[in-house]
Amino acid sequence: MSDLPHLTAGIDAGASSVKVVLARSDRGEGATLLGSVVQRIRRRSLEEVVRSAFEAACGEASVAPSALCYVASTGDSDAVPFRTGHFYGMTAHARGACFLDPECRAVVDVGALHARAIKMDARGKVLGHRMTSQCASGSGQFVENIARYLGVTLEDVGALSVSALAPEQVSGICAVLAETDVINMVSRGIGAADILRGIHASIAERLARLLRAAGAEGVVQLTGGPAADAGLVLALREACVAGIRGRGLDLTVRSHPQGILAGAIGAALLGARRFADLIDKGRFDVLGRDALIGTNGGGLA
Amino acid sequence: MSAESLVAEARSQVDDVDLGPVHAWKRANPGGLAVGTMPIYVPRPLIEAVGALPVAIFGGGDQVDIIRGDSYFQSYICHIPRSTLELALGGRLDCLDAMIFPSICDVIRNLGGMWRLLFPEKLSVYLDLPQTFDLAVGGRFFAHELHRIASLLEAAGARPLNDEALVAAIRVENVRRAALERVDALRRAEPWRAPASEVYLLARLGGLLPAAEHTRWLEDYLTAAQGRAARPVDNVRVVLVGAFCEQPPLGLLRTLEKAGCDIIEDDLQLGLRTIEGPIDLREGEDPVFSLARSWIERGGATASRYIGDDEKGRALVERVRTLGADGVVFAAASFCDPALLDQPMQEAALARAKIPYTTLKFAENTGQFQVVREQAGAFSDAVKLWGIA
Repeated sequence: MSDLPHLTAGIDAGASSVKVVLARSDRGEGATLLGSVVQRIRRRSLEEVVRSAFEAACGEASVAPSALCYVASTGDSDAVPFRTGHFYGMTAHARGACFLDPECRAVVDVGALHARAIKMDARGKVLGHRMTSQCASGSGQFVENIARYLGVTLEDVGALSVSALAPEQVSGICAVLAETDVINMVSRGIGAADILRGIHASIAERLARLLRAAGAEGVVQLTGGPAADAGLVLALREACVAGIRGRGLDLTVRSHPQGILAGAIGAALLGARRFADLIDKGRFDVLGRDALIGTNGGGLA
Repeated sequence: MSAESLVAEARSQVDDVDLGPVHAWKRANPGGLAVGTMPIYVPRPLIEAVGALPVAIFGGGDQVDIIRGDSYFQSYICHIPRSTLELALGGRLDCLDAMIFPSICDVIRNLGGMWRLLFPEKLSVYLDLPQTFDLAVGGRFFAHELHRIASLLEAAGARPLNDEALVAAIRVENVRRAALERVDALRRAEPWRAPASEVYLLARLGGLLPAAEHTRWLEDYLTAAQGRAARPVDNVRVVLVGAFCEQPPLGLLRTLEKAGCDIIEDDLQLGLRTIEGPIDLREGEDPVFSLARSWIERGGATASRYIGDDEKGRALVERVRTLGADGVVFAAASFCDPALLDQPMQEAALARAKIPYTTLKFAENTGQFQVVREQAGAFSDAVKLWGIA
């Protein structure tokens, strides 16, 4: 089983979508992504979406589940009953971001319900982090809600925001207040582009504070669903230049087209590393062959 | 019955702050006394031997809002005395005919004092657990204490204590302890079949039941858990340490498990496990002294037991190594002096032994676990991937 390469899967069971990646690597290094799938949860059960996305990813990669040496979950572990092991979202995003951009030393992971800034080393080992508290105003769901009010599709949000000429200022503290701001703006006839840019600026300011608190340095990757949102990327760059209380942050903000997959990628690569370590230490026998999805299909048809 | 059904039923009984199982016992045993016992340790066989039901009281957990209880304790006091008084003042502990307060900390001592003032009609006993671990001194003293308690219970309407009944009760208790050890052994070997959050509920249920009945529950669960379809998961194996008197909410245990920690040992239900191994009965020995001797000779190294500073943590390090645990999670109740005073010495012992650990705090009514999730997830990953915390 320790023969190289390691075929592993990473499943990021998030609050609004499930991301699955299949990877081939040598202990998590030198990886090639064989397949990836993103499925929105909508009104389905999370476990159902996980199974559907996993099967789709295996199909796309032409890899049988039985060929995988480790299936790693991140996000909601309970939604992945056939997992071999689980990695915390922060750890997985840090590793995934390092894969997508080896120069990055920090991540801003914007999930549906929260955002967190993570500082890490070149291996993806987390050195520090900060997370938003209860308020959802730094989250992807917040952007979705605003887009829905404005009648704008999520795909158009970034381009519209970038085209804004006179961004409106909205509350950066509270999502509820910000939504009220937006309703007022709509009634005042403010254009969708300016409103969205204001929303992005508000979120970006919070993210910049998190980055500073986490001690981020150098290159920062934006990961999670909004990673592809050009408006948020631009706003975060501007927020870093503007800095906190007039002191700019010396950070280079980047995004990657596969930024939404960072958690799943990281989980897959960490799974390969963990599997190899367990084999080296002779501990996979303790864990048992049943943990391998290949031995019993993990309950999958 | 499936393991899931047994656990669900155990949870409904454990969560029943109106003590339904105790009412049921009293209906089935007219005239029998129900004797409340505060954590950590009261010898249950002694109470069963006089025909009474020992009822472990762990406060109200996250089931009750504290309104009156807060007026009796300062804000820098742990939560369990408030919720215990809240339950009592609300009449929910009326089915208890007596209460025993063991000498585990000043707070429980104060609670015992308040109890006497608030409920003068009920028997209230303070049990001094000896801190001199010499049989001729501490053993004699503890046996005297236990005889005193038996006499007080008799005066309150319990049966007189006799050797035959106590020997029988100790034997039944030993059977229960053996069953609990088998469940613990399954959890250590195959935690995916018997996760700590389930074992905890099954163990805690024992605080409400006679030992023989609890044994049947444990045996049923063991059979069901061994036979359940469950897959191993690559989690880190941790020992959970909290010197637990106040119990954490079940959500905290579930959060640790979801974060990738298999809790292969804990000191949650310390009273049931603090004597290591069976209670040793000896031919010709007063069985009350046998109980006392077990505490003196086989009592675990808990925070409520005075042990020289240089020894603190040694037992924990040995336990972690024996169990093959990857690390330790400290989870002390906020303002729990015994736990929090011991913790630095235990941490130092772990650090010397290069055993990873992390520390959390909780209150019994904690409802938000995001911080725990963050910390436990980071700890689990650090141990798994980097071998450190």
